[in-house]
Amino acid sequence: MRTVWATVLSVWALFAVVAFLAWTRQQPTPARSPQSVPGAVIVKGKNGTTRLVVVSGAGTTAPHATTRTSPVPAG
Amino acid sequence: MSDIVAAGMPVAWLIARAAGLVAFALLTVSVSLGLAMSTKLLKPRLQKDILGWHQTLLWTALSMLALHGGAILFDPVMRFGLPAVVVPGTAPWRPITVAAGVVAAYLMLTLAVSFRVRRRIGQRRWRLLHYASFGAFALALGHALHAGTDLQGTTGLVFAAVALAPILWLTFARILMPRPGRPHARARVDRPVESPQPAVTA
Repeated sequence: MRTVWATVLSVWALFAVVAFLAWTRQQPTPARSPQSVPGAVIVKGKNGTTRLVVVSGAGTTAPHATTRTSPVPAG
Repeated sequence: MSDIVAAGMPVAWLIARAAGLVAFALLTVSVSLGLAMSTKLLKPRLQKDILGWHQTLLWTALSMLALHGGAILFDPVMRFGLPAVVVPGTAPWRPITVAAGVVAAYLMLTLAVSFRVRRRIGQRRWRLLHYASFGAFALALGHALHAGTDLQGTTGLVFAAVALAPILWLTFARILMPRPGRPHARARVDRPVESPQPAVTA
């Protein structure tokens, strides 16, 4: 009888803790997608003129690694 | 339960955590009852019932531990294999802390089995073996605090305090309170050893 009581109480405790953990489970807040953030780029032309170009979308603020495609000039 | 599954809840993970917490609670109560018996704080007629509950709760805790380890096997994120759950130190995540939990489980199993072989191994060895319950409790607490994702920060401190309070109080009570058997034993030790041969006088 003691074993039955211990089993029943333990299973109820298990269900209660599972319910509590499920209830308190923190839903991850959706991170803002960097692609949707508009940005601005200053474009310098060949003749020295500068223009402000507003860009909406595609990775304007997303951090990413840059790679050199040509050797750095000496000096 | 179907709502939980439908909501995308990690069911195996929830069951593993809950079973671990319930197993630790049962272990704490079982150790407390064992200490309460040894301190003779309880009435003698309650001793037999308490001894029964002490053993039953330990076996129930082991059942919950089996569920704890079994549920972790089914968790898709942790990816624990059977060796990681059974062999200490082979877990891919926090191997030392997980090993502490595995060793605690083995100690608990040894203690639970020791009740069945008590007459065979003798009272003195059984009592010595029973000191391993302190190690099992300490390892289980360390495992719960470090590996448990629910017991970080203040929650962990409160959890540790609630679990440790009865164990420490009963342990100190056992050490400091006079027990019926002790004065006689102390008297035997303190009594000067009588020489079997009469002293030779010059």
